[in-house]
Amino acid sequence: MFTFILRRLGIGLVVLFVASYLMYLLTAYSGDPLADLRTSTALNKGQLIEARSDLLDLGVPPYLRYFIWLGGVLKVFIGQFTLGVDPTGAQVTGQLGAAMTSTLQLVTLSEFLGLFIGVVIGITTALRQYSGYDYTVTFASFLFFSLPVFWLAAMLKQYVAIGFNDFLAEPAIPWPVIIVLSLISAVVWQGILGGSWAKRGLTAAVAFASALVVLWFLDASNWFTDPSLGPIVCAGIGVGIAFIVTALSTGIKDRRALYSSLVTVAIGMALYYPLQYVYVDASVWTILLLAVIAAGVGILVGWLFRGPDRWRSARTAAITAVSLGFIFFVDRAMGSWQVFATSSFVHGRPIATIGSSTPQLNGDLWISVLDSYSHLLLPTLCLVLVSLASYSRYSRASTLEVMNQDYIRTARAKGLTERTVVMRHAFRNSLIPVTTLLTLDIGALIGGAVITEHVFGWSGMGALFNIALDKVDVNSVMGFFLVTGATVIVFNLIADVLYSALDPRIRVS
Amino acid sequence: MKIRRIAVAAAMMGAGALILTGCSAPKSSELEKSTSLSVAWNQPFYSYNNNSSTGNNVTNANIRYLTSSWFNYYDNKSNLVNDTWFGTVKKTSDDPLTVKYTINKGVTWSDGTPVDSADLMLAWVAQSGVYNDKNVEPKLDDNGNVTNQKELDNAVYFNSAAQGTGLANAPTVPKIGDDGRSLTVTYKTPDVGWEINMAADLPAHAVMEVADPSITDAQKAKDALVKAVQTDDAAVLKKVSATWNTAFDMSGNLPSNKMLFLSDGPYVVTGLKKDQYITLKANDKYDGDHKAQVKNLTVRFIPDALSEVQALQNGEVSIIQPQSTQDVQKALDKIKNVKTSNIGASTYEHVDLTFNNGGPFDPATYGGDAAKAQLVREAFLLTVPRDKILDQLIKPLNPNAVVDNSQTQLPGTSTYDDMIKANDSSMYAKTDIDKAKSLLAQAGVTTPVNVKFMYDNTNPRRVNEFALIQASAKDAGFNVVDSGNKNWSSLLGNKSYDAIVFAWQNTGTNVTQAQATFQGDAGNNFNGYNNAQVNDLWNQIAKTLDESKQQELLRKMEKIVYDDAYGLTLYQFPQITAWSNDVSGVSDAPLSPTYFWNFWEWQTK
Repeated sequence: MFTFILRRLGIGLVVLFVASYLMYLLTAYSGDPLADLRTSTALNKGQLIEARSDLLDLGVPPYLRYFIWLGGVLKVFIGQFTLGVDPTGAQVTGQLGAAMTSTLQLVTLSEFLGLFIGVVIGITTALRQYSGYDYTVTFASFLFFSLPVFWLAAMLKQYVAIGFNDFLAEPAIPWPVIIVLSLISAVVWQGILGGSWAKRGLTAAVAFASALVVLWFLDASNWFTDPSLGPIVCAGIGVGIAFIVTALSTGIKDRRALYSSLVTVAIGMALYYPLQYVYVDASVWTILLLAVIAAGVGILVGWLFRGPDRWRSARTAAITAVSLGFIFFVDRAMGSWQVFATSSFVHGRPIATIGSSTPQLNGDLWISVLDSYSHLLLPTLCLVLVSLASYSRYSRASTLEVMNQDYIRTARAKGLTERTVVMRHAFRNSLIPVTTLLTLDIGALIGGAVITEHVFGWSGMGALFNIALDKVDVNSVMGFFLVTGATVIVFNLIADVLYSALDPRIRVS
Repeated sequence: MKIRRIAVAAAMMGAGALILTGCSAPKSSELEKSTSLSVAWNQPFYSYNNNSSTGNNVTNANIRYLTSSWFNYYDNKSNLVNDTWFGTVKKTSDDPLTVKYTINKGVTWSDGTPVDSADLMLAWVAQSGVYNDKNVEPKLDDNGNVTNQKELDNAVYFNSAAQGTGLANAPTVPKIGDDGRSLTVTYKTPDVGWEINMAADLPAHAVMEVADPSITDAQKAKDALVKAVQTDDAAVLKKVSATWNTAFDMSGNLPSNKMLFLSDGPYVVTGLKKDQYITLKANDKYDGDHKAQVKNLTVRFIPDALSEVQALQNGEVSIIQPQSTQDVQKALDKIKNVKTSNIGASTYEHVDLTFNNGGPFDPATYGGDAAKAQLVREAFLLTVPRDKILDQLIKPLNPNAVVDNSQTQLPGTSTYDDMIKANDSSMYAKTDIDKAKSLLAQAGVTTPVNVKFMYDNTNPRRVNEFALIQASAKDAGFNVVDSGNKNWSSLLGNKSYDAIVFAWQNTGTNVTQAQATFQGDAGNNFNGYNNAQVNDLWNQIAKTLDESKQQELLRKMEKIVYDDAYGLTLYQFPQITAWSNDVSGVSDAPLSPTYFWNFWEWQTK
């Protein structure tokens, strides 16, 4: 194992060295770093050209200049590491640090959302193979996968941001729209839940009616200008969460688990009003502390319910408690929405198309949460839609493969419930190929999303690379290359090692 | 049983809590109200010193324009306007040229320190570079390491973007007068740019205090700096120059030291988020004529042109100046509640012919027969379809665009009309294939004449220009050979082409800017043009301080250039500015700082 890792790292370094030399030459010969100065009519043009040439060693031909750059990198051993400077004289290392932070902010959320939604879609489509739901979702995910990102981004900006903000100026949903949306909901839900025609009909009717009521209520109560959930909706959602979590975690027949979840929800609702006072000067740490306390309360309640397997109840109740806490968080953030949306810096147009925050908006935690998410919404949506296809297809295929294995048949033959078969026996094994995909994607994650960043005005790694290449700023391009290249090599290695850890049939040597 | 009891207890507790706390509602989030405006620029701000050669960029100049006051500025007709509230620039003597800068009483930096002659002294020493140690330049060994670091550290070197020009011609230490509010600069030889040679610079006390942290008193810092300049104290000046060169660069977020972004202008910087935006608020120490009407201003950096348009549509920014393309213009046309302005920028496209490469336009090709080469040049220029190029490529972006008929003055400036009446550009007013044919016949050259034509073949507009020129010249008997090259800018002047189309970027109105293009063997003279009369006229222009005389000499100079069939100017680059109806008072200017030029007139609704 150890020699395997060493060997792979050694090969990785050689690959990185050769690739960096090629990259350096390709970038350096891709254009003229002095182009903007050459057409200037400045009286001291010669001196300006000379100053930049000195700064970037342009007098040295690229195939030798590479070694100046490499020298800077190798100085890491004597503590004088440098990646050189860009044409403005700023250190590339500093630029890289800032770019990486902003890229991680942008891409991390969308990566995990894409993974979560993708896996859920993959498993559910596998379980409903060749159903209308399967075909529809597959079609949609491939459609998004094949869309050019810049076009998708422009459409999202036009309809989700500009269109929705226009709608917010006069938030009224006309009746025909409400009916059409409810019909869509009816069709979608009967497709997902499936079953006999009678069952489908019932599902459709319920879905139609509930969508109709919800939309009418949102419209009538001015929900879009001053959204809130309120204690009653929170309690309803809480009970729903208790049932769903119990069903997935232990099965609804485990009454102790169900009751402990429900009691946790009751305690949470009892604390609904007192908590409003805690939120006033809350910081991120307050929220994290509350989450930990919620989990603790859940564990305590589950444990107090005793029974033969009290930890199952404790686990279920803890997950319910934290989920309910999340609903509370959303509820409170909504409470600040009106203040945020009508502030002098937002002008009633809350969904942003550019950047990561509203300048000069100095609000409390809730305002900044709303601000961050209203800026993250579009780029995240864009990245998630594009990445759905790969995760959902991988997990669908691997779930189908696992479900046809002999041990699943054995598990069914033992008389285990379908929930246990899917959640306990199939789910984990079906995740192995997805894990590999995820580790490989981390390299891409650090590399940033060139087009998405450009279009949404995020100054991350992708934007750094894009702009540097445009200016033939070789040092910045190489800084980008070094970071992403090294990440890809390291995570490739991690993927191999992880694979053998997850699947005992595979040995690395 | 037990389960039920716990549930009942929990429900009781909840009910109790509800009653206890339901009475007084907790505080909700609050935000302060203010007037604010967001505008967009396509490149991030990165240095507070826009006079250094690395910080010399429009994006920095915009922000410095908001945060500084100066004797004069350019308006949207490229006229130099004086800001008499700040002070005056006066020429007190023609021989030797002596210029007196006087700052009025009561002008202060945002920390309360007065703006005075010490600040002008810093501007002079930094921008003139007269103390720069010319012999010390970085020397590299084979590994690229600097071998003379010690010498460099001990050298005075102001890395000024203006070095070698303007103030470099005034090397004697200027005199301070009027209780330290004026500075008198004496030039060695006359200089036409005396009014604009010095630009607003950094606060002297801030530079000195950052260079030497042991000085904390503003007046002492000013005195120390002035003394160092007057006595040529290299030990102090090297620290000052190093500080001036790099300490005011902002490659990250806003520095914590407020000395690094003091302002004597209408706005003061309050925040900077790297590559995203810079925020400014009205400077309460500013009492001049350009008081900001919008309290909070944000400049957001958006590199993508269509994203700028959508951000404008979504109300995130209120003024944009995206790169001008037809897509942008079409997108803007579709938005309601938006005004647009289309003007010609200070960058202009032109066709030049090569005189010294043994090609069709070089007299040497015809055994030194200058007249013959001249006829061929005239014939070729007559085939350039300037109207067609303008109509097809530029008018869609700027309906007001006109063909540019002067080599030194831009259309729309006050001197342009007189210039085109006198400079013989009317010879080429219309594309005239028949006349071109007859000129070629008169010259007696065998057709088709091969013309190697270079252009940037990665630029779609220039590809189209080339195609139009090629088609038109073919009719007259020229075979225009495609020598398009993406590395064209580094090939300028290497004699590999007979004709070229590219653009010059004007950065100011200094009349001597074009000297390097037309004078024989000068820096921007890439086509080997060398006419003794023109050279002589330029030497006179550079020494002539009287503006009307300058223009007269320029007209003479251009007439010779057009008579020599040097080349043709085509058009000014189109510049599109768009702003939402929420803001009024916006207007665009060709020269930097473009639409920022009258920011004090901006008002929000």
